[in-house]
Amino acid sequence: MVRGDFFILLPLIITGGAAVAVMLLISFRRSHLATATVTLVALGAAVISVICVAAAAPRQASALLILDSYALFYMGLIFAAGCAVTMIAYDYFERQTDHREEFYLLLLLATLGSAVLVSSNHFASLFLGLEILSVSLYALIAFHRERLPSVEAGVRYLILAAASSAFLLFGMALIYLERGDMTFFRSTQIASGVPAWSPLLLAGTALLIVGIGFKLALVPFHMWTPDIYEGAPPPATAFIASVSKGAAFVLLLRYVTLFGLHSGSVQSAAIAAIAVASMFFGNLLALREEKVRRVLAYSSIAHMGYLLVAILAAGPLAAVAAGYYLVAYFTSIIGSFGIISVREGREGGGDAVSDYRGYAWRHPWLGGAFTAMLLSLAGIPITAGFVGKFYLLAAGLESSLRLLVVVLVASSAIGLFYYLRIIITLYGPPEAERQGAAITPAVSLAGGVALTALTFLLIWFGAYPAPLLRLIQAMVGG
Amino acid sequence: MITVPIEHVILMAAILFSLGLTGVLARRNVLFILLSIEVMLNAAGIAFVAAGARWAQADGQIMFLFILTMAAAEVAVGLAIILQYYRHTGTLDVDAMGGGRR
Repeated sequence: MVRGDFFILLPLIITGGAAVAVMLLISFRRSHLATATVTLVALGAAVISVICVAAAAPRQASALLILDSYALFYMGLIFAAGCAVTMIAYDYFERQTDHREEFYLLLLLATLGSAVLVSSNHFASLFLGLEILSVSLYALIAFHRERLPSVEAGVRYLILAAASSAFLLFGMALIYLERGDMTFFRSTQIASGVPAWSPLLLAGTALLIVGIGFKLALVPFHMWTPDIYEGAPPPATAFIASVSKGAAFVLLLRYVTLFGLHSGSVQSAAIAAIAVASMFFGNLLALREEKVRRVLAYSSIAHMGYLLVAILAAGPLAAVAAGYYLVAYFTSIIGSFGIISVREGREGGGDAVSDYRGYAWRHPWLGGAFTAMLLSLAGIPITAGFVGKFYLLAAGLESSLRLLVVVLVASSAIGLFYYLRIIITLYGPPEAERQGAAITPAVSLAGGVALTALTFLLIWFGAYPAPLLRLIQAMVGG
Repeated sequence: MITVPIEHVILMAAILFSLGLTGVLARRNVLFILLSIEVMLNAAGIAFVAAGARWAQADGQIMFLFILTMAAAEVAVGLAIILQYYRHTGTLDVDAMGGGRR
């Protein structure tokens, strides 16, 4: 390790240091405001440090991590998403009295794990990043230890994530056995005299896909999603839906790009089948759900299916499309769970779609923001989600993936139904007994700032995508 | 010294992994599910050690140490969560877990 390595690793060092600092702070003095502030400042500093070190990229910091513009872009996105989740969590936990400071500690660690994941270049760093993320997530999901659904969700995630890690590890071991190297680049290159695809390598790749498929909640590995989205505290759900899945996707994209997926091969056929199944099942199963969080859980399965189209398309346009789509998806899904979190933190009440009846009349701003988020998830014009989906379609057509593009359009149309159903309910006539129950202020300063910023970004990226597009092209398109 | 062929080690790892997976799927007690996951993780560890031996590198054994460390961390957090689950329900049976559609 030389000095340049330490400099380029600054974003990771800041986040890791902040986790220690927050831990010490909690042990000396329990203050919700101070803990949240330190977390927010640290994540903000991490975002700034990403911009600072971008000039020194690309640089390989030891064999484990590669800090190229691709990794740095997604790191910045992850830290920014962490900031938004911190503010939403502050709003949510403000009304709780017991053990709330540790949430930020776990959030910092999970963010660190995701950042390691997107910059990993070696099986060991992949595994370490994934485990830092997963183990923090177990505790984040079961954070409401006094509520049974939260603890149950924690147990479920513990079993499934640990089992999927075992799959991932076994797959990595088989690939290492065959290739004799654990760095991504060399383990994907074909050595002379070795057949391109041996049975062991195929088995290893299949196990790897199973492991990552669990993380991304792709059909048929999606069973855990609805229960965990429903049981976990809403800020934690916002984090799982965005950062945790996003980091795993970014990693998959990097690995598959190195592998060079040939159309017509067994692997690309398998990924295509998973993509089609995720798009259709995600959207169809969401139709019959009555709870908002479960609807969003199934919709996130479909969104990951859309993103797989970018992986199959491969090429610079696909990388840009995936980048734009991830930014749009992060903004909309964190915003949606932000609103759910604000509502649950203040009003309590059920999570059924019908419980949201008339919400937009009681809280016009929050209702309007929620509408914008849902429209973006559905992919309606003038929102970021539309532009993201547009580029995904363009990337798919360029690589002439006609079947996948048709499925993407058709399943998006199905998706429109359940998003619109929630929006219509938001603006439905309010129930009589609920009218007087409105609590003022509807949202705290931190939550309000986060939600306003997210809504603003959503519409900005949708109405005027050029600046973000140029940034993504410069960072990941090269 | 008698050397063990790599194929045998990998075969044993694969059998162990399958046994662990069967345990995860068939067992209803959370503790036994966790134990079965440990078996799966250790099967992956053996495969890593065998792979490292094939290429005469230490990397495989280093990965095994990582797996051991991670498994310990996972069990520490996992047992705490399972303890909370037991306090709520008085059972360790995963079938007692209510789905979302209760």
